Amino acid sequence: MSHTKTRRWSTELTIMAGAVILLMLPLLGIPVKTYLTLTIAGLAMGMLLFLIASGVSIIFGLMDVLNFAHGALFAWGAYVGFSVFGWLREWVEADSVLQNFGVFLAAILAAMAAVAVLGIILERVIVRRVYGNHLFQILITFGATIVLVELIRVFWGPNDEVMTVPLTFRGSWDIFDIIIAKYRIICIFIGIVVYAVIQLILKKTKLGIIVRAGVENIEMVQAMGHNIFLLFTGVFAVGAGLAALGGLSMSIFSLQVYPDMGSSYLLFAFIVVIIGGLGSVTGSLVGALIVGLSYNYVAYLVPWAAAGVNIIIMIVILLIRPTGLFAAGK
Amino acid sequence: MTEQTPVQIVREQEKRRLFTSGSSFLKLGVLILFLLVPFLLPSYKTVDLAIKIVIFASLVASFDILLGYTGILSFGHGMFFGIGAYCVAFLLEKYGSPTYLNLILGLLLAAVVAVVLALIISFISLRVKAIFFAMVTLALAELAIVLANKLSHVTGGEDGISISMPGIFSVAFNMGEFMGIDITGRVITYYLILFTCLALFLMMLRFTHSPLGRVLQAIRDNEQRAVALGYKTFIFQTISITFGCLLATLIGGLYAMWVGYVNPESSLEVMAIMLNVLLMVVIGGMGTLYGGIVGAAFLLITQTFLPDLQHLAQNLLPGATLLHNMLERWLLLFGILFILVVIFFPKGVIGSVQDYVSRRKKIIPE
Repeated sequence: MSHTKTRRWSTELTIMAGAVILLMLPLLGIPVKTYLTLTIAGLAMGMLLFLIASGVSIIFGLMDVLNFAHGALFAWGAYVGFSVFGWLREWVEADSVLQNFGVFLAAILAAMAAVAVLGIILERVIVRRVYGNHLFQILITFGATIVLVELIRVFWGPNDEVMTVPLTFRGSWDIFDIIIAKYRIICIFIGIVVYAVIQLILKKTKLGIIVRAGVENIEMVQAMGHNIFLLFTGVFAVGAGLAALGGLSMSIFSLQVYPDMGSSYLLFAFIVVIIGGLGSVTGSLVGALIVGLSYNYVAYLVPWAAAGVNIIIMIVILLIRPTGLFAAGK
Repeated sequence: MTEQTPVQIVREQEKRRLFTSGSSFLKLGVLILFLLVPFLLPSYKTVDLAIKIVIFASLVASFDILLGYTGILSFGHGMFFGIGAYCVAFLLEKYGSPTYLNLILGLLLAAVVAVVLALIISFISLRVKAIFFAMVTLALAELAIVLANKLSHVTGGEDGISISMPGIFSVAFNMGEFMGIDITGRVITYYLILFTCLALFLMMLRFTHSPLGRVLQAIRDNEQRAVALGYKTFIFQTISITFGCLLATLIGGLYAMWVGYVNPESSLEVMAIMLNVLLMVVIGGMGTLYGGIVGAAFLLITQTFLPDLQHLAQNLLPGATLLHNMLERWLLLFGILFILVVIFFPKGVIGSVQDYVSRRKKIIPE
């Protein structure tokens, strides 16, 4: 027993050492100050990707459903937040930290609630009919994506819109010539909080134990007398809410919303969960940070290669560890 | 007389049915219809529509080999289609000249690239689970679009490449009048594409009805059982994927020959082409091959005549704004149709019709 444990520790240590070395590697080509700015940008992007990837990962881990509609839910979150910012324009423009955070919180709550409801409808009406059939799940959630994205075009119009940013979040700090955009720090903060809350729920509550048990062995949980379908709906709603939070935060980050925004970020989310391991929340976090950081470093060093570097990392991971870095129960 | 094996009996029955069943006449009728289109309806719009139905029906059939016969969903099919189109464009225009040899070389190059790429993708993504294939191909297809846009000195960037066809296939070529229409390069190209697609389609039919095709269906229906029976599923799936992708690439080359240009938007766009292909295969029927013809015809005809329908609706019912908005967002309607078909008619039009016919045959024995 202890033998396996040490062996597991040694692999984990190797991975961590490797990660630190990889993290320092870009320093060879980038000045230290730029490196720090890029690192913060990468961490912020990683945290936002974590928000969408964790939903994909949990839903797959528990329900064995690969949700292609997650990108559309992400876009819906961004658009609901966009509308809230539109309604409370004075608060967004007001020169008051309190009002700015108030409108930000209101937008987050509205987006998460609206998209969670959308997720519940999606799970109840569509996804539930195709449990156990991967092919049909992908097809039907792909169909749902078409419908949800078209509905965005119907309700909000087909054009790109500029996302307004609350006044406090604009601009950047300059600490010893290291430029740090304020909003990036907020993104990193949101990511850490969400990760902590998910881990707390999964590790410390009864609900979390049931979910984790479900990832390991769904039949056993059912045999114990738990209503697994209620749990499925709940987890789907939570995943949708996280996607909405991700979408809203990302739209403020990139200063725009557009109907198709979900598809490109869904792709990032897939790369993240393949790297991290489908079904593992920690894996999603690590995968998201890898993707965010490498994207920013490479975009600075070799701009045209930025889009490809994540896919290359994904392929390498698939070759050496096909189940991802942190493979969950299955 | 020696005893017949079950397979021989089935073959014999199929042979006898070939000349008597209604479906054979239907297939022949459809083929004759496509043969006659340039003579009956020589307008640009209808000929263009007809050949696009042929091209997309073949593309959907090649996609069906993956989806319906192997049970693997690929989002990279549009990418292979685009690779074929670009290879033909490279050889005919960008790095060559419009000659017959270069046309063949372009298709050959496309075939080689497709086989190599399909093998690599299979080796990377099939090792874990078949669903990884969907995610990996989606990522690679996205990368292909980015590359086609960014590497503009190679691919022509967003503008793409215009293609001139060699000799008798060129737009300027005119052989004179025959049965009331000009036999132009376009008409010859039409028949070239039609016969090539027919040959490819027959190849696919042969592939799916071969012993290999039956093993693939066994793997699709129950992978564990196929493994237990001793079949190396990985090898069979790889062969099927490579075959399907190879055909998609060749069809992409044909498409480029017809439309006369390639750019990332028209030839590579995952969403546009994959969306169409998925809608077509699901509406027509997965695992039937013929479903592609029904799906492609339905979707392309609807898309072509939808603007007319919109005008009609505006003239007839000027007040119904909601209806107009809905018609403008035709993709919304197709999306809803797609979901409904997946839920209620998972076998699509052809599959449902086949079920209905075989059920009636059982009720009324001969």
